[in-house]
Amino acid sequence: MNPFVRALALLIAFFVAAPMFIVIPMSFSSAASLTFPPPGYTLANYINFFSDPNWTEPLINSVIIGLGTVLVTLCLAIPASFALVRHIFLGRELFNLLIMLPMIVPTIVMALGYYMYFGQLRLVQSYLGVILAHSCIAMPMATLILTAALKGFDRSVERAAMNLGASPFTTFRLVTFPILRPAFTVAGLFAFIASFDEAVIALFISGRDRATLPRQMFNAVRQEADPTISAASSFLFLLVLAGVCVWLAPQFVRRRSGTTRQPLENGATNTAAAAS
Amino acid sequence: MKQRSFSPIAEGPIPLMAPAAVFLAVFFLVPLAYVGWMSISQPVVGLQNFGRLLHSSLFASVLYQTFRTAFLVTALALLFAYPLAYAAANGSKRFATFLLTVVALSFWTSYLVRTYAWMVILGNQGPVTALLTWLGFDPAPKLLFTTFSATLAMSHALIPFMTMSLFSVMKRIDPLYVRAAESLGASPRRAFLAVYLPLSAPGIVNGCTLVFISCLGFYVMPVLLGSPRDQMIAGIIGDQIEQTLDFGLGSAISIVLLGLTLAVYALYNRFFGLDRLWAGGGR
Repeated sequence: MNPFVRALALLIAFFVAAPMFIVIPMSFSSAASLTFPPPGYTLANYINFFSDPNWTEPLINSVIIGLGTVLVTLCLAIPASFALVRHIFLGRELFNLLIMLPMIVPTIVMALGYYMYFGQLRLVQSYLGVILAHSCIAMPMATLILTAALKGFDRSVERAAMNLGASPFTTFRLVTFPILRPAFTVAGLFAFIASFDEAVIALFISGRDRATLPRQMFNAVRQEADPTISAASSFLFLLVLAGVCVWLAPQFVRRRSGTTRQPLENGATNTAAAAS
Repeated sequence: MKQRSFSPIAEGPIPLMAPAAVFLAVFFLVPLAYVGWMSISQPVVGLQNFGRLLHSSLFASVLYQTFRTAFLVTALALLFAYPLAYAAANGSKRFATFLLTVVALSFWTSYLVRTYAWMVILGNQGPVTALLTWLGFDPAPKLLFTTFSATLAMSHALIPFMTMSLFSVMKRIDPLYVRAAESLGASPRRAFLAVYLPLSAPGIVNGCTLVFISCLGFYVMPVLLGSPRDQMIAGIIGDQIEQTLDFGLGSAISIVLLGLTLAVYALYNRFFGLDRLWAGGGR
């Protein structure tokens, strides 16, 4: 490849990555203002992030809401994916469109809708309200992942199990489920992240009592008063960094041992591409 | 002989699809329809909310600002993402892994983290202002809370989407085409412009559509980083919820935003087919 193109790509990669890394030194800053480079270093921001209820409660709320979203999303998306891939029925296209719709409608529109509708149903400022809203948002991605996995599923193994006398339920439990478990895990992970990172709907309907971490961060950025936001940002960024490393590590090990079964770039791209 | 159904968990599609269909109808379609109903019923039944928008010069400037920003962000994201995707699709495996890891890192990082990072970088006591002062700007120009900072942050945030759309098309382009053009006498520049660029066009269209649509409804970054005087459409919907409590007007603005978004999708669908927009990603 042209060395100029290579240099240009490296420069752009630097532009993409560098701004995010600035949150790490900032999180150790002793200044309350946004001074960079920091005048001094301290662990106070982290101590605050993990002890101040203004931050620990939103973190816990976000985890609870994220897990609830995973549960609801998988219970709905798994059967829906079986229906979409294995059956041809009247209104199938319409059903597919309904599932994709939350990806099409702008989140701020839904935030207003939930604010008014859940206000009537007394579901604002509750775990349940945010979980229900986030489950809708997580449905399209989870269904895309599950249907893609189901399309590549060889159904003859199910037929074999049933020919050998297994009941439909036993077949699902012992054959279908174990084969599809990685897809279920990935779909669940996507649902969790979709909820954990969602700021707009949570901002308007979670309220002060059930504030999520993105809501708390949004308000901290807006008010520019609480430097703990730096530790929260750094914490989330380090989680992503760790996640990417964990994803890449087995592929490097495999490469070292000389058997490149899978092109290296697949791991990083498939996840990101699947979500786009 | 009659074919027996081997579906292991249920006989027909209805019990499988019904839970999701009912759930989305009750918790997605109803609140969405509620926005539509509020837009024509608050405070009284009629189209007066839309009439107010039609005659508001403020709303016209918000729409202008929204479209101008969306076009600019799309163009910038394409400008940054194209060389990145090109290098990832045509470079060595190692280089490609490195570039795509960087893109994935950005993709997975929360918008709020990236927003905070830009506040540090572009703030009064940040590195860019320090650099500008050192270069002799006195006082250094205000960077934060301007259309510039919002546009820059949104372009940066949407580069991963654009890169993925481009990469998924580019990695399927056979390098033999470009080599054939060059062996027939085309300069590398001509071979790129006449062969590679047109072959990568579907990726450009997909990426630009996704980025443009995301930008139209973007809330977090324009509100936190942009100029309060030059708001985008999502920002003024938020204002109606938080400040003026005018739910009729807020709903009408939401319907306009939804209409604009659906129009872009319809345009894409008319020419390319909607199923390709998401299917392009990696599979």
